[in-house]
Amino acid sequence: MWIVVGVASVFLLKAGAAKSLVPSKLQSLAELLVDFIRGIIQDTMGPSGMRYFPFISTLFLFILFSNLLGLVPGSFTVTSQIVVTGVFAIAVYGLSLVIGFQLHGAKFLGILVPPGTPGWLLPLMIPIELISQLARPISLAVRLFANMTAGHVILGVLFGLTIAGGLLIGWLPFSFTIVLYGLEVGIAFIQAYIFVVLTCVYIGDAIHLH
Amino acid sequence: MAPSQDPVFAGLGKAMRVGTDLLAALIVGGFLGWLVDSYVFDSTPWGVSVGLVLGLIAGIRNAYRAAQRWGA
Repeated sequence: MWIVVGVASVFLLKAGAAKSLVPSKLQSLAELLVDFIRGIIQDTMGPSGMRYFPFISTLFLFILFSNLLGLVPGSFTVTSQIVVTGVFAIAVYGLSLVIGFQLHGAKFLGILVPPGTPGWLLPLMIPIELISQLARPISLAVRLFANMTAGHVILGVLFGLTIAGGLLIGWLPFSFTIVLYGLEVGIAFIQAYIFVVLTCVYIGDAIHLH
Repeated sequence: MAPSQDPVFAGLGKAMRVGTDLLAALIVGGFLGWLVDSYVFDSTPWGVSVGLVLGLIAGIRNAYRAAQRWGA
C-alpha cells in the first residue's frame, strides 16, 4: 500500500513541478487526469460537489494506481483484498451519511421514502429502501474486489497451463494471457472509474435529497 | 473529448455496475432476514424468505433507478 501511495505521489509531484503554460507530456497527463475527475464530479454532483474534489481524486488515484501496480508481474494487488475495498466502501458510505445528516438533519431519513409514495405503501417501501441503502457499501466493496481477484485468478490459471503445456501446446494459453492482460489493464481503469462515480452518486444523493 | 463523456468508456462503466447491485441487495436482504430469524423472533424459515424477497425487489429497484438516471 505504501508503494502505491509513493508511486502516485511521485508521479503527481513530478508532473506538477513544472507548471509551465505549454505542458510537458507528464504534466498534460496529470492535467488530463484532474480534468477527468472534475468531469465526473460535475456530471454527478453538480458544481456544489467540487468541495469533495480532494477526497474523490485521492480515492481515484489510489485505486487506479493499486490496480495498475498489481498488474506488474510478481507484485501484489492491494485492491484484491476484500478488507481494503470494504474499508473504502464503508468510509465512503459513512461519509455520505455524515454529509446527509449534517446538511438535512433528521429530514435526511426521508431518503428511505421515495417521493410520491402513497401512505399505505410505507410499511413495504421502508424495508425495501433500507435494504437497497445497506446494499450500497457491499456492492461497492464486492465489485472492486471480485473484478480484481477474478482477473488475477484467470491470469494465474492461464500461466499455469502455459507451463504445464510446455512448448507443444503451451503457446495457446500463453497467447490468451496476452489478450487478457490487455483486458485487465482496461478493467483496472474502469473499476477505479466506477468506484469513484458511485462515490460521487452517493455523496450527491446525500447533498440533493431527492 | 473528456474521457468521462467517451461513450464506450462510460457505457462499460454503467454496464458493470448493475450486476453487483442486484446481487448485493439480495445478500443484504437475506442476511437481515437471517438476523431477525436467529436473534429477534426465532421464526426460522419466515425471516429469511421475506428478507430474500425484499432484497430481490430492492435489487431490481436499484438497477432500475440506475438505468433511469442515465436514461434521462
